[in-house]
Amino acid sequence: MPIPNLTIIGESINDSVPSTHKFFEANDIAGLKNLAIAQDVGGAGYIDVNVGSRTGEFLAEMVRQVQSVTAKPLAIDTPDPAMSEAGLRAYDSARAGGKMPILNSISELRMEMFELYRIMPFMPILLASERMENGAGQPNHTAEEVYQTALRMVRAAAKHGIPVDQCIIDPAISPIGADTDGRFHCLMGAIRLIHGDSELKGVHMSVGLSNFSVMIPPKRPDGSPSKSPLESAFLTMAVPMGMDFVIGSVKRKYQLLEPDHPAMVCLDDCLKLEGFDVIMRVQEYYTN
Amino acid sequence: MSTLSELAIAVEAGKRNDAKALTLGLLDDGMQPLDIVEQGLVPGMSAIGEKFKNNEVFVPEMLIAARAMKECMGILEPLLAQAGIKPKYTAVIGTVQGDLHDIGKNLVAMMLKGANFGIVDLGTNVPPEKFVAAIKEHDAHLVCLSALLTTTMPAMKSTVQAVREAGLTSVKIMVGGAPVTQDYSDEIGADGYSPDAASAVDLATKLADSI
Ligand code: B12
Repeated sequence: MPIPNLTIIGESINDSVPSTHKFFEANDIAGLKNLAIAQDVGGAGYIDVNVGSRTGEFLAEMVRQVQSVTAKPLAIDTPDPAMSEAGLRAYDSARAGGKMPILNSISELRMEMFELYRIMPFMPILLASERMENGAGQPNHTAEEVYQTALRMVRAAAKHGIPVDQCIIDPAISPIGADTDGRFHCLMGAIRLIHGDSELKGVHMSVGLSNFSVMIPPKRPDGSPSKSPLESAFLTMAVPMGMDFVIGSVKRKYQLLEPDHPAMVCLDDCLKLEGFDVIMRVQEYYTN
Repeated sequence: MSTLSELAIAVEAGKRNDAKALTLGLLDDGMQPLDIVEQGLVPGMSAIGEKFKNNEVFVPEMLIAARAMKECMGILEPLLAQAGIKPKYTAVIGTVQGDLHDIGKNLVAMMLKGANFGIVDLGTNVPPEKFVAAIKEHDAHLVCLSALLTTTMPAMKSTVQAVREAGLTSVKIMVGGAPVTQDYSDEIGADGYSPDAASAVDLATKLADSI
Protein backbone atom coordinates (compact mmCIF):
# COMPACT_ATOMS: atom_id res chain seq x y z
CA MET A 1 0.00 0.00 0.00
CA PRO A 2 1.41 3.43 -0.89
CA ILE A 3 2.28 5.65 2.06
CA PRO A 4 -0.58 8.06 2.77
CA ASN A 5 0.27 11.77 2.49
CA LEU A 6 3.58 11.11 0.79
CA THR A 7 4.10 12.83 -2.56
CA ILE A 8 6.66 11.33 -4.90
CA ILE A 9 8.61 13.64 -7.16
CA GLY A 10 9.55 11.18 -9.92
CA GLU A 11 13.31 11.24 -10.29
CA SER A 12 13.87 9.54 -13.66
CA ILE A 13 14.34 12.54 -15.94
CA ASN A 14 17.75 13.40 -14.56
CA ASP A 15 20.93 13.66 -16.60
CA SER A 16 22.96 12.05 -13.80
CA VAL A 17 20.96 8.80 -14.14
CA PRO A 18 23.10 6.81 -16.61
CA SER A 19 20.18 5.34 -18.61
CA THR A 20 18.57 8.78 -18.91
CA HIS A 21 21.89 10.38 -19.80
CA LYS A 22 21.88 8.21 -22.92
CA PHE A 23 18.50 9.64 -23.97
CA PHE A 24 19.84 13.16 -23.50
CA GLU A 25 23.02 12.44 -25.42
CA ALA A 26 21.03 10.90 -28.27
CA ASN A 27 18.54 13.81 -28.12
CA ASP A 28 15.85 11.13 -27.78
CA ILE A 29 13.00 13.38 -26.71
CA ALA A 30 10.43 10.62 -27.23
CA GLY A 31 12.37 8.39 -24.81
CA LEU A 32 12.40 11.18 -22.24
CA LYS A 33 8.70 11.83 -22.68
CA ASN A 34 8.04 8.13 -22.12
CA LEU A 35 9.81 8.42 -18.77
CA ALA A 36 7.40 11.21 -17.88
CA ILE A 37 4.39 9.13 -18.89
CA ALA A 38 5.59 6.04 -17.00
CA GLN A 39 6.10 8.06 -13.83
CA ASP A 40 2.75 9.82 -14.18
CA VAL A 41 0.97 6.48 -14.55
CA GLY A 42 3.13 4.99 -11.78
CA GLY A 43 1.84 7.48 -9.24
CA ALA A 44 4.30 10.36 -9.20
CA GLY A 45 2.80 13.60 -7.86
CA TYR A 46 5.40 15.72 -9.67
CA ILE A 47 7.80 14.99 -12.52
CA ASP A 48 11.38 16.13 -11.93
CA VAL A 49 13.19 17.66 -14.89
CA ASN A 50 16.98 17.82 -14.58
CA VAL A 51 18.86 18.28 -17.84
CA GLY A 52 22.34 18.53 -16.30
CA SER A 53 24.59 21.27 -17.61
CA ARG A 54 22.76 22.11 -20.79
CA THR A 55 21.27 25.44 -21.80
CA GLY A 56 18.29 27.25 -20.36
CA GLU A 57 16.67 27.01 -23.78
CA PHE A 58 17.01 23.25 -23.72
CA LEU A 59 15.50 23.04 -20.24
CA ALA A 60 12.62 25.26 -21.37
CA GLU A 61 12.01 22.97 -24.34
CA MET A 62 12.08 19.90 -22.05
CA VAL A 63 9.53 21.56 -19.77
CA ARG A 64 7.22 22.09 -22.75
CA GLN A 65 7.79 18.59 -24.09
CA VAL A 66 7.14 16.92 -20.73
CA GLN A 67 4.04 19.02 -20.14
CA SER A 68 2.76 17.94 -23.55
CA VAL A 69 2.42 14.39 -22.23
CA THR A 70 1.52 14.88 -18.57
CA ALA A 71 -0.80 17.08 -16.57
CA LYS A 72 1.26 16.50 -13.44
CA PRO A 73 3.13 19.56 -12.16
CA LEU A 74 6.91 19.59 -12.63
CA ALA A 75 9.93 20.02 -10.39
CA ILE A 76 12.46 22.19 -12.19
CA ASP A 77 15.75 20.83 -10.99
CA THR A 78 18.87 22.89 -11.51
CA PRO A 79 21.06 24.93 -9.20
CA ASP A 80 21.71 27.38 -12.05
CA PRO A 81 19.64 30.59 -11.65
CA ALA A 82 19.56 31.42 -15.37
CA MET A 83 18.44 27.91 -16.29
CA SER A 84 15.83 27.97 -13.52
CA GLU A 85 14.46 31.19 -14.97
CA ALA A 86 14.16 29.69 -18.44
CA GLY A 87 12.45 26.58 -17.04
CA LEU A 88 9.98 28.62 -14.98
CA ARG A 89 9.12 30.88 -17.90
CA ALA A 90 8.31 27.85 -20.03
CA TYR A 91 6.11 26.24 -17.38
CA ASP A 92 2.38 26.24 -18.05
CA SER A 93 0.53 26.06 -14.75
CA ALA A 94 -2.89 25.83 -16.43
CA ARG A 95 -1.75 22.59 -18.04
CA ALA A 96 -0.97 21.29 -14.54
CA GLY A 97 -4.45 22.08 -13.25
CA GLY A 98 -3.26 25.39 -11.80
CA LYS A 99 -0.55 23.77 -9.70
CA MET A 100 2.69 25.69 -9.33
CA PRO A 101 6.00 23.97 -10.06
CA ILE A 102 8.60 22.98 -7.50
CA LEU A 103 11.98 24.70 -7.84
CA ASN A 104 14.84 22.42 -6.79
CA SER A 105 16.73 24.02 -5.17
CA ILE A 106 17.62 27.25 -3.40
CA SER A 107 20.40 27.33 -0.83
CA GLU A 108 22.08 30.13 1.09
CA LEU A 109 24.74 29.98 -1.59
CA ARG A 110 22.25 31.08 -4.25
CA MET A 111 19.63 33.24 -2.55
CA GLU A 112 19.15 35.32 -5.69
CA MET A 113 16.95 32.50 -6.97
CA PHE A 114 14.14 33.79 -4.74
CA GLU A 115 13.85 36.71 -7.17
CA LEU A 116 12.47 34.26 -9.75
CA TYR A 117 9.29 34.04 -7.69
CA ARG A 118 8.09 37.21 -9.42
CA ILE A 119 8.27 35.47 -12.79
CA MET A 120 6.36 32.36 -11.78
CA PRO A 121 5.26 31.40 -8.27
CA PHE A 122 6.77 28.10 -7.16
CA MET A 123 7.28 25.83 -4.18
CA PRO A 124 10.97 26.15 -3.37
CA ILE A 125 13.04 23.25 -2.14
CA LEU A 126 15.26 24.88 0.48
CA LEU A 127 18.52 23.02 0.80
CA ALA A 128 19.57 23.04 4.44
CA SER A 129 22.77 21.00 4.19
CA GLU A 130 24.98 23.98 3.49
CA ARG A 131 25.16 27.51 4.83
CA MET A 132 26.78 30.77 3.99
CA GLU A 133 29.21 31.96 6.61
CA ASN A 134 31.51 34.95 6.27
CA GLY A 135 30.95 34.93 2.54
CA ALA A 136 31.86 31.27 2.06
CA GLY A 137 29.85 28.07 1.72
CA GLN A 138 30.15 25.63 4.60
CA PRO A 139 28.71 22.13 4.96
CA ASN A 140 26.39 21.66 7.94
CA HIS A 141 27.40 18.79 10.19
CA THR A 142 25.01 18.96 13.13
CA ALA A 143 21.24 18.75 13.43
CA GLU A 144 21.21 22.21 14.99
CA GLU A 145 23.14 23.70 12.04
CA VAL A 146 20.76 22.12 9.51
CA TYR A 147 17.75 23.29 11.48
CA GLN A 148 19.07 26.85 11.86
CA THR A 149 19.80 27.04 8.14
CA ALA A 150 16.28 25.77 7.37
CA LEU A 151 14.82 28.42 9.64
CA ARG A 152 16.82 31.22 7.99
CA MET A 153 15.80 29.99 4.55
CA VAL A 154 12.08 29.86 5.43
CA ARG A 155 12.33 33.41 6.81
CA ALA A 156 14.08 34.54 3.61
CA ALA A 157 11.31 32.90 1.58
CA ALA A 158 8.70 34.79 3.61
CA LYS A 159 10.40 38.08 2.71
CA HIS A 160 9.78 37.21 -0.92
CA GLY A 161 6.14 36.50 -0.26
CA ILE A 162 6.43 32.71 -0.08
CA PRO A 163 4.37 31.36 2.84
CA VAL A 164 5.78 28.68 5.11
CA ASP A 165 3.34 26.03 3.89
CA GLN A 166 4.62 26.51 0.36
CA CYS A 167 8.24 25.78 1.37
CA ILE A 168 9.87 22.37 1.18
CA ILE A 169 12.92 21.92 3.38
CA ASP A 170 15.55 19.43 2.19
CA PRO A 171 17.59 18.44 5.26
CA ALA A 172 19.82 16.35 2.92
CA ILE A 173 20.11 12.61 3.15
CA SER A 174 23.52 10.93 2.78
CA PRO A 175 24.35 7.37 1.84
CA ILE A 176 24.01 5.15 4.89
CA GLY A 177 26.71 2.86 3.47
CA ALA A 178 29.35 5.59 3.83
CA ASP A 179 28.07 7.06 7.07
CA THR A 180 31.12 7.05 9.32
CA ASP A 181 30.62 10.52 10.74
CA GLY A 182 27.12 10.62 12.16
CA ARG A 183 25.20 11.94 9.15
CA PHE A 184 22.13 9.80 9.75
CA HIS A 185 21.99 10.98 13.36
CA CYS A 186 22.29 14.54 12.11
CA LEU A 187 19.49 14.04 9.58
CA MET A 188 17.02 12.49 12.00
CA GLY A 189 17.86 15.13 14.61
CA ALA A 190 17.29 17.92 12.10
CA ILE A 191 13.94 16.48 11.00
CA ARG A 192 12.88 16.29 14.63
CA LEU A 193 13.90 19.92 15.31
CA ILE A 194 12.16 21.21 12.18
CA HIS A 195 9.01 19.23 12.98
CA GLY A 196 9.00 20.48 16.56
CA ASP A 197 9.28 24.21 15.80
CA SER A 198 5.92 26.00 15.81
CA GLU A 199 7.33 28.72 13.56
CA LEU A 200 7.78 26.04 10.90
CA LYS A 201 4.30 24.61 11.30
CA GLY A 202 2.95 23.53 7.91
CA VAL A 203 6.34 23.42 6.22
CA HIS A 204 7.02 20.47 3.91
CA MET A 205 10.10 18.28 3.94
CA SER A 206 11.75 16.27 1.20
CA VAL A 207 14.90 14.26 0.56
CA GLY A 208 16.47 12.66 -2.49
CA LEU A 209 15.66 9.20 -1.21
CA SER A 210 17.65 7.09 -3.66
CA ASN A 211 20.82 8.71 -2.36
CA PHE A 212 20.27 6.93 0.96
CA SER A 213 20.95 3.47 -0.40
CA VAL A 214 23.58 4.08 -3.09
CA MET A 215 26.90 2.32 -2.50
CA ILE A 216 25.46 -0.89 -1.10
CA PRO A 217 24.86 -4.09 -3.09
CA PRO A 218 21.40 -4.32 -4.65
CA LYS A 219 20.50 -7.71 -3.15
CA ARG A 220 20.74 -9.55 0.11
CA PRO A 221 22.03 -13.16 0.09
CA ASP A 222 18.49 -14.57 -0.09
CA GLY A 223 17.99 -12.64 -3.32
CA SER A 224 15.64 -10.08 -1.80
CA PRO A 225 16.29 -6.40 -2.61
CA SER A 226 18.41 -4.53 -0.08
CA LYS A 227 17.84 -0.93 -1.06
CA SER A 228 14.09 -0.31 -1.17
CA PRO A 229 13.47 -1.74 2.33
CA LEU A 230 16.09 0.61 3.78
CA GLU A 231 14.42 3.53 2.02
CA SER A 232 11.02 2.41 3.31
CA ALA A 233 12.47 2.05 6.80
CA PHE A 234 13.71 5.62 6.65
CA LEU A 235 10.25 6.79 5.57
CA THR A 236 8.63 4.80 8.37
CA MET A 237 10.72 6.89 10.76
CA ALA A 238 10.52 10.24 8.97
CA VAL A 239 6.95 10.47 7.63
CA PRO A 240 5.43 10.76 11.12
CA MET A 241 7.84 13.66 11.70
CA GLY A 242 6.59 15.63 8.70
CA MET A 243 8.52 14.21 5.76
CA ASP A 244 5.79 14.47 3.11
CA PHE A 245 7.73 14.60 -0.18
CA VAL A 246 10.51 12.51 -1.64
CA ILE A 247 12.42 12.72 -4.86
CA GLY A 248 12.37 9.07 -5.70
CA SER A 249 11.33 6.21 -7.89
CA VAL A 250 7.74 5.14 -8.52
CA LYS A 251 9.07 1.63 -9.11
CA ARG A 252 10.39 1.23 -5.59
CA LYS A 253 6.93 0.85 -3.98
CA TYR A 254 7.77 2.60 -0.73
CA GLN A 255 5.77 1.35 2.23
CA LEU A 256 5.55 1.69 5.98
CA LEU A 257 7.36 -1.24 7.61
CA GLU A 258 6.64 -3.21 10.75
CA PRO A 259 9.08 -2.58 13.62
CA ASP A 260 10.55 -6.09 13.33
CA HIS A 261 11.39 -5.81 9.62
CA PRO A 262 15.17 -6.38 9.21
CA ALA A 263 15.63 -2.97 7.56
CA MET A 264 13.77 -1.28 10.44
CA VAL A 265 15.84 -3.09 13.02
CA CYS A 266 18.97 -2.08 11.11
CA LEU A 267 18.13 1.63 11.06
CA ASP A 268 17.00 1.55 14.68
CA ASP A 269 20.35 0.07 15.57
CA CYS A 270 22.19 2.63 13.43
CA LEU A 271 20.65 5.40 15.51
CA LYS A 272 22.17 3.83 18.61
CA LEU A 273 25.60 3.35 17.04
CA GLU A 274 28.40 5.73 16.17
CA GLY A 275 31.24 6.07 13.70
CA PHE A 276 32.18 2.98 11.74
CA ASP A 277 29.78 0.82 13.72
CA VAL A 278 26.98 2.32 11.63
CA ILE A 279 28.35 1.07 8.31
CA MET A 280 29.28 -2.24 9.89
CA ARG A 281 25.67 -2.65 10.99
CA VAL A 282 24.51 -1.85 7.47
CA GLN A 283 27.00 -4.40 6.17
CA GLU A 284 25.52 -6.96 8.52
CA TYR A 285 22.06 -6.14 7.13
CA TYR A 286 23.01 -6.78 3.52
CA THR A 287 25.30 -9.76 4.09
CA ASN A 288 22.95 -11.76 6.34
CA MET B 1 54.95 -15.89 13.73
CA SER B 2 52.74 -13.50 11.82
CA THR B 3 53.27 -13.22 8.14
CA LEU B 4 52.94 -10.45 5.63
CA SER B 5 50.29 -12.30 3.68
CA GLU B 6 48.20 -12.70 6.83
CA LEU B 7 48.52 -8.95 7.33
CA ALA B 8 47.43 -8.27 3.74
CA ILE B 9 44.40 -10.52 4.24
CA ALA B 10 43.47 -8.87 7.54
CA VAL B 11 43.66 -5.40 5.92
CA GLU B 12 41.60 -6.51 2.97
CA ALA B 13 38.96 -7.95 5.31
CA GLY B 14 39.03 -4.77 7.39
CA LYS B 15 39.92 -6.67 10.57
CA ARG B 16 41.67 -3.78 12.24
CA ASN B 17 42.48 -5.48 15.52
CA ASP B 18 44.00 -8.47 13.78
CA ALA B 19 45.86 -6.19 11.40
CA LYS B 20 47.32 -4.15 14.25
CA ALA B 21 48.34 -7.26 16.17
CA LEU B 22 49.98 -8.68 13.04
CA THR B 23 51.83 -5.42 12.44
CA LEU B 24 53.16 -5.42 15.99
CA GLY B 25 54.07 -9.10 15.62
CA LEU B 26 56.03 -8.43 12.44
CA LEU B 27 57.88 -5.56 14.10
CA ASP B 28 58.71 -7.86 17.01
CA ASP B 29 60.13 -10.34 14.54
CA GLY B 30 62.49 -7.63 13.37
CA MET B 31 60.80 -6.79 10.11
CA GLN B 32 61.51 -3.31 8.73
CA PRO B 33 58.52 -0.90 8.87
CA LEU B 34 58.86 -0.05 5.19
CA ASP B 35 58.71 -3.73 4.24
CA ILE B 36 55.58 -4.14 6.33
CA VAL B 37 53.98 -1.23 4.47
CA GLU B 38 55.08 -2.31 1.03
CA GLN B 39 54.56 -6.06 1.38
CA GLY B 40 51.65 -6.16 3.84
CA LEU B 41 49.49 -3.06 3.75
CA VAL B 42 49.92 -2.12 0.09
CA PRO B 43 48.91 -5.56 -1.26
CA GLY B 44 45.95 -5.66 1.14
CA MET B 45 44.60 -2.32 -0.07
CA SER B 46 45.34 -3.14 -3.66
CA ALA B 47 43.36 -6.40 -3.38
CA ILE B 48 40.29 -4.67 -1.97
CA GLY B 49 40.63 -1.88 -4.53
CA GLU B 50 40.64 -4.42 -7.33
CA LYS B 51 37.48 -6.09 -5.99
CA PHE B 52 35.82 -2.68 -5.68
CA LYS B 53 36.68 -1.87 -9.28
CA ASN B 54 35.02 -5.15 -10.33
CA ASN B 55 31.91 -4.53 -8.21
CA GLU B 56 32.67 -7.54 -6.00
CA VAL B 57 32.74 -5.34 -2.90
CA PHE B 58 31.16 -1.96 -2.18
CA VAL B 59 32.01 1.32 -0.48
CA PRO B 60 31.45 0.03 3.10
CA GLU B 61 34.05 -2.74 2.60
CA MET B 62 36.50 -0.20 1.18
CA LEU B 63 36.04 2.15 4.12
CA ILE B 64 36.44 -0.63 6.66
CA ALA B 65 39.61 -1.92 4.98
CA ALA B 66 41.01 1.59 4.78
CA ARG B 67 40.45 2.07 8.48
CA ALA B 68 42.45 -1.08 9.23
CA MET B 69 45.24 0.14 6.96
CA LYS B 70 45.23 3.57 8.57
CA GLU B 71 45.49 2.15 12.07
CA CYS B 72 48.48 0.03 11.06
CA MET B 73 50.01 3.09 9.46
CA GLY B 74 49.49 4.84 12.78
CA ILE B 75 51.88 2.32 14.32
CA LEU B 76 54.36 2.39 11.46
CA GLU B 77 54.50 6.06 10.54
CA PRO B 78 56.39 7.25 13.63
CA LEU B 79 58.94 4.48 13.05
CA LEU B 80 59.31 5.43 9.42
CA ALA B 81 59.71 9.08 10.38
CA GLN B 82 62.36 8.19 12.97
CA ALA B 83 64.28 6.28 10.33
CA GLY B 84 63.98 9.28 8.02
CA ILE B 85 61.98 7.32 5.49
CA LYS B 86 59.49 9.39 3.57
CA PRO B 87 57.01 8.14 1.01
CA LYS B 88 58.53 8.28 -2.45
CA TYR B 89 55.78 10.51 -3.79
CA THR B 90 53.54 13.17 -2.29
CA ALA B 91 50.05 13.94 -3.56
CA VAL B 92 47.89 16.95 -2.71
CA ILE B 93 44.19 16.10 -2.93
CA GLY B 94 40.97 18.04 -2.55
CA THR B 95 37.46 18.69 -3.83
CA VAL B 96 37.29 21.82 -5.96
CA GLN B 97 35.78 25.15 -4.99
CA GLY B 98 32.02 25.20 -4.50
CA ASP B 99 31.80 21.44 -4.12
CA LEU B 100 31.26 19.76 -0.76
CA HIS B 101 31.22 16.11 -1.83
CA ASP B 102 34.08 14.15 -0.32
CA ILE B 103 33.25 10.44 -0.13
CA GLY B 104 34.88 9.63 -3.48
CA LYS B 105 37.79 11.97 -2.84
CA ASN B 106 38.39 10.30 0.53
CA LEU B 107 38.41 6.86 -1.09
CA VAL B 108 41.02 8.01 -3.59
CA ALA B 109 43.09 9.50 -0.76
CA MET B 110 42.84 6.26 1.23
CA MET B 111 43.85 4.12 -1.73
CA LEU B 112 46.82 6.37 -2.45
CA LYS B 113 47.83 6.28 1.18
CA GLY B 114 47.43 2.54 1.03
CA ALA B 115 49.85 2.53 -1.91
CA ASN B 116 52.32 4.46 0.25
CA PHE B 117 51.90 7.91 -1.23
CA GLY B 118 52.30 10.84 1.14
CA ILE B 119 48.88 12.51 1.23
CA VAL B 120 48.04 16.16 1.87
CA ASP B 121 44.24 16.28 2.05
CA LEU B 122 42.89 19.82 1.72
CA GLY B 123 39.27 18.75 2.25
CA THR B 124 36.35 20.15 0.26
CA ASN B 125 35.52 23.50 -1.35
CA VAL B 126 39.18 24.20 -2.00
CA PRO B 127 40.00 27.38 -3.95
CA PRO B 128 42.65 27.18 -6.72
CA GLU B 129 45.18 29.28 -4.81
CA LYS B 130 45.04 26.87 -1.89
CA PHE B 131 45.95 23.97 -4.18
CA VAL B 132 48.83 26.01 -5.59
CA ALA B 133 50.11 26.94 -2.11
CA ALA B 134 49.96 23.34 -0.90
CA ILE B 135 51.79 22.00 -3.97
CA LYS B 136 54.59 24.49 -3.31
CA GLU B 137 54.70 23.90 0.43
CA HIS B 138 54.85 20.12 0.16
CA ASP B 139 56.82 19.90 -3.05
CA ALA B 140 54.07 17.63 -4.34
CA HIS B 141 54.50 15.33 -7.30
CA LEU B 142 50.78 15.05 -7.90
CA VAL B 143 47.64 17.03 -7.36
CA CYS B 144 44.29 15.22 -7.41
CA LEU B 145 41.11 17.20 -8.04
CA SER B 146 37.65 15.84 -7.37
CA ALA B 147 34.31 17.29 -8.54
CA LEU B 148 30.83 15.75 -8.24
CA LEU B 149 28.73 18.57 -9.61
CA THR B 150 28.51 19.65 -13.21
CA THR B 151 28.36 23.19 -11.84
CA THR B 152 31.76 22.86 -10.18
CA MET B 153 33.56 21.30 -13.14
CA PRO B 154 34.55 24.82 -14.31
CA ALA B 155 36.30 25.25 -10.94
CA MET B 156 38.33 22.18 -11.85
CA LYS B 157 39.34 23.89 -15.06
CA SER B 158 40.35 27.10 -13.30
CA THR B 159 42.38 25.09 -10.78
CA VAL B 160 44.29 23.40 -13.59
CA GLN B 161 44.93 26.85 -15.08
CA ALA B 162 46.07 28.27 -11.76
CA VAL B 163 48.53 25.41 -11.27
CA ARG B 164 49.93 25.86 -14.78
CA GLU B 165 50.11 29.64 -14.46
CA ALA B 166 51.99 29.32 -11.16
CA GLY B 167 54.74 27.71 -13.21
CA LEU B 168 54.47 24.39 -11.37
CA THR B 169 55.48 22.48 -14.46
CA SER B 170 56.65 19.26 -12.83
CA VAL B 171 53.48 18.54 -10.85
CA LYS B 172 51.08 16.10 -12.49
CA ILE B 173 47.37 16.88 -12.32
CA MET B 174 44.81 14.09 -11.94
CA VAL B 175 41.07 14.64 -12.10
CA GLY B 176 38.05 12.52 -11.23
CA GLY B 177 34.52 12.37 -9.83
CA ALA B 178 31.28 11.02 -11.29
CA PRO B 179 30.60 13.68 -13.97
CA VAL B 180 34.25 13.95 -15.07
CA THR B 181 35.39 12.10 -18.19
CA GLN B 182 38.63 11.46 -20.05
CA ASP B 183 37.45 13.93 -22.69
CA TYR B 184 36.92 16.61 -20.09
CA SER B 185 40.31 15.90 -18.58
CA ASP B 186 41.92 16.36 -22.01
CA GLU B 187 39.90 19.47 -22.67
CA ILE B 188 41.03 21.27 -19.51
CA GLY B 189 44.62 20.13 -19.90
CA ALA B 190 44.89 17.78 -16.91
CA ASP B 191 47.46 14.99 -17.06
CA GLY B 192 45.10 12.13 -16.37
CA TYR B 193 41.66 10.90 -15.38
CA SER B 194 40.54 7.67 -13.84
CA PRO B 195 37.02 6.46 -13.12
CA ASP B 196 37.57 4.85 -9.72
CA ALA B 197 39.84 4.82 -6.70
CA ALA B 198 41.69 1.62 -7.60
CA SER B 199 42.66 2.73 -11.09
CA ALA B 200 43.55 6.14 -9.61
CA VAL B 201 46.48 4.39 -7.90
CA ASP B 202 47.74 2.90 -11.17
CA LEU B 203 47.44 6.27 -12.85
CA ALA B 204 49.13 8.12 -9.98
CA THR B 205 52.04 5.69 -10.02
CA LYS B 206 52.40 5.97 -13.78
CA LEU B 207 52.31 9.77 -13.71
CA ALA B 208 54.69 10.12 -10.77
CA ASP B 209 57.16 7.66 -12.30
CA SER B 210 57.14 9.72 -15.49
CA ILE B 211 58.35 12.90 -13.77
C1 B12 C 1 26.53 11.83 -0.95
C2 B12 C 1 25.95 12.89 -1.83
C3 B12 C 1 25.76 14.16 -1.28
C4 B12 C 1 26.12 14.50 0.15
C5 B12 C 1 27.64 14.74 0.24
C6 B12 C 1 28.25 14.20 1.49
C7 B12 C 1 29.73 14.12 1.39
N1 B12 C 1 30.39 14.34 2.50
O1 B12 C 1 30.31 13.85 0.34
C8 B12 C 1 25.27 15.79 0.39
C9 B12 C 1 23.92 15.39 0.93
C10 B12 C 1 25.86 16.84 1.32
C11 B12 C 1 25.08 16.28 -1.05
C12 B12 C 1 24.78 17.58 -1.38
C13 B12 C 1 24.50 18.01 -2.67
N2 B12 C 1 24.41 17.23 -3.76
CO1 B12 C 1 24.97 15.39 -3.82
N3 B12 C 1 25.14 13.54 -3.99
C14 B12 C 1 25.60 12.61 -3.19
C15 B12 C 1 25.50 11.22 -3.86
C16 B12 C 1 24.30 10.51 -3.27
C17 B12 C 1 26.68 10.30 -3.74
C18 B12 C 1 28.04 10.86 -4.16
C19 B12 C 1 29.09 9.91 -3.70
O2 B12 C 1 29.63 10.06 -2.62
N4 B12 C 1 29.33 8.84 -4.47
C20 B12 C 1 30.19 7.72 -4.08
C21 B12 C 1 31.63 7.94 -4.43
C22 B12 C 1 32.46 6.75 -3.97
O3 B12 C 1 31.70 8.05 -5.84
P1 B12 C 1 32.44 9.25 -6.54
O4 B12 C 1 32.37 10.46 -5.73
O5 B12 C 1 32.02 9.30 -7.96
O6 B12 C 1 33.99 8.81 -6.50
C23 B12 C 1 34.55 7.74 -7.21
C24 B12 C 1 35.06 8.13 -8.60
O7 B12 C 1 34.33 9.17 -9.20
C25 B12 C 1 36.50 8.44 -8.39
N5 B12 C 1 36.90 9.80 -8.00
C26 B12 C 1 36.32 10.71 -7.22
N6 B12 C 1 37.08 11.79 -7.06
C27 B12 C 1 38.22 11.57 -7.74
C28 B12 C 1 39.35 12.35 -7.90
C29 B12 C 1 40.41 11.86 -8.69
C30 B12 C 1 41.62 12.69 -8.88
C31 B12 C 1 40.30 10.60 -9.32
C32 B12 C 1 41.37 10.11 -10.16
C33 B12 C 1 39.16 9.81 -9.13
C34 B12 C 1 38.13 10.30 -8.36
O8 B12 C 1 36.87 7.56 -7.36
C35 B12 C 1 35.79 7.37 -6.42
C36 B12 C 1 35.82 5.96 -5.90
O9 B12 C 1 35.85 4.98 -6.89
C37 B12 C 1 25.29 11.63 -5.37
C38 B12 C 1 24.35 10.72 -6.15
C39 B12 C 1 24.98 9.48 -6.65
N7 B12 C 1 24.20 8.45 -6.72
O10 B12 C 1 26.16 9.47 -6.99
C40 B12 C 1 24.69 13.03 -5.25
C41 B12 C 1 24.97 14.05 -6.35
C42 B12 C 1 26.44 14.03 -6.72
N8 B12 C 1 24.64 15.32 -5.69
C43 B12 C 1 24.02 16.15 -6.46
C44 B12 C 1 23.55 17.43 -6.06
C45 B12 C 1 22.78 18.22 -7.12
C46 B12 C 1 23.79 17.92 -4.78
C47 B12 C 1 23.33 19.28 -4.26
C48 B12 C 1 23.53 20.46 -5.20
C49 B12 C 1 21.89 19.09 -3.79
C50 B12 C 1 20.79 19.94 -4.37
N9 B12 C 1 19.75 19.29 -4.83
O11 B12 C 1 20.80 21.14 -4.36
C51 B12 C 1 24.18 19.43 -2.97
C52 B12 C 1 25.45 20.24 -3.26
C53 B12 C 1 26.39 20.39 -2.12
C54 B12 C 1 27.67 21.01 -2.61
N10 B12 C 1 27.77 22.33 -2.63
O12 B12 C 1 28.57 20.30 -2.99
C55 B12 C 1 23.84 15.59 -7.87
C56 B12 C 1 24.84 16.17 -8.86
C57 B12 C 1 24.22 16.43 -10.21
C58 B12 C 1 25.28 16.90 -11.13
N11 B12 C 1 25.78 16.01 -11.97
O13 B12 C 1 25.69 18.04 -11.07
C59 B12 C 1 24.00 14.05 -7.61
C60 B12 C 1 24.55 13.25 -8.79
C61 B12 C 1 22.60 13.57 -7.20
C62 B12 C 1 21.57 13.69 -8.31
N12 B12 C 1 21.23 12.60 -8.96
O14 B12 C 1 21.05 14.73 -8.61
N13 B12 C 1 25.24 15.26 -1.93
